[in-house]
Amino acid sequence: MDKESQDLYRKVVEVSRFINSTVQKVSDMESPVAGTLGNLPQVSAQLSDLTRLTEDGTHQVMGLTEQIQDGRIEVTKLLDQLAGLVTQAKLDPSALDRIAAIKQTLSVDDKRLLDIMTALSFQDLVGQRVKKILVVLEDVQRRLLEMIVVFGQKPEGEKRVEDKRAGQMLKELQASRTTALKQDLVDNILGEYGFN
Amino acid sequence: MPADPKMKIMVVDDMSTMRRIVKNVLKQLGFTNIEEAENGKEALEKLKGEPYGFVVSDWNMPVMTGIDMLRAIRADEALKQIPVLMVTAEAQKENIIEAVQAGVSNYIVKPFTAEALQDKMAKIFK
Repeated sequence: MDKESQDLYRKVVEVSRFINSTVQKVSDMESPVAGTLGNLPQVSAQLSDLTRLTEDGTHQVMGLTEQIQDGRIEVTKLLDQLAGLVTQAKLDPSALDRIAAIKQTLSVDDKRLLDIMTALSFQDLVGQRVKKILVVLEDVQRRLLEMIVVFGQKPEGEKRVEDKRAGQMLKELQASRTTALKQDLVDNILGEYGFN
Repeated sequence: MPADPKMKIMVVDDMSTMRRIVKNVLKQLGFTNIEEAENGKEALEKLKGEPYGFVVSDWNMPVMTGIDMLRAIRADEALKQIPVLMVTAEAQKENIIEAVQAGVSNYIVKPFTAEALQDKMAKIFK
């Protein structure tokens, strides 16, 4: 065997060892990757449950808040009737001041109840982020599956669409943490377009 | 012209909690004639069915997004005059510009306050 052939032979052996080693590594990874893949649907289901649980809890708080709001409307009506009776009976006029003071307190608390309602919009924000995370998880699941079947036969077009969607979701999740504008900045931009 | 408390209002959001919040705030502001839709497509069908005076919509929804619904409203001769307020978590500068170009009447970012909704409605119906 001449020197050139020996070099070639040595390189082929090296490549062969490298391929063997890679195949072994991929083979070693298959089991943990399959385990992770098996867990992902459960993780997705847990995340969906999280959204549902926060939604149920939020509706419960809203229901109770609405009941309090309705009750206060009735109390306000009764106070108005009471003020009428006080006036008719020509009772101590300070009683009317006290009724007015009660109505004022009720009014302040009504504002607080409304603030509770709007504060519950956190659930919408949580739900939207979880939905985006679910899309990313689906993409990870699909990629892991492809690894296991060693580059499966999925149509390329479909893959690109899913890649793009997961990428967009990740981008939006990141943007919601970094470049999302507050209302005053939104109003500034709107002002530039003639919104006053 | 100030908002007519009897006008029919469409609240569009895929999250039931958000629809309930917006409805509650509108009710506290004196508006009780309120309909709901879960996405732009459902809202459009309802808007074509009877007269509405105001639409409050989310942006990111399945089936049809709020921005697509807004474009459809502005392209429809019978609906294009309806004021549309976007209430959304999509708060990037390009979102706001896109909404303005599509003909939005005003824009609120979530989480929002009752005062913000009242303020925007006052500006729309001045």
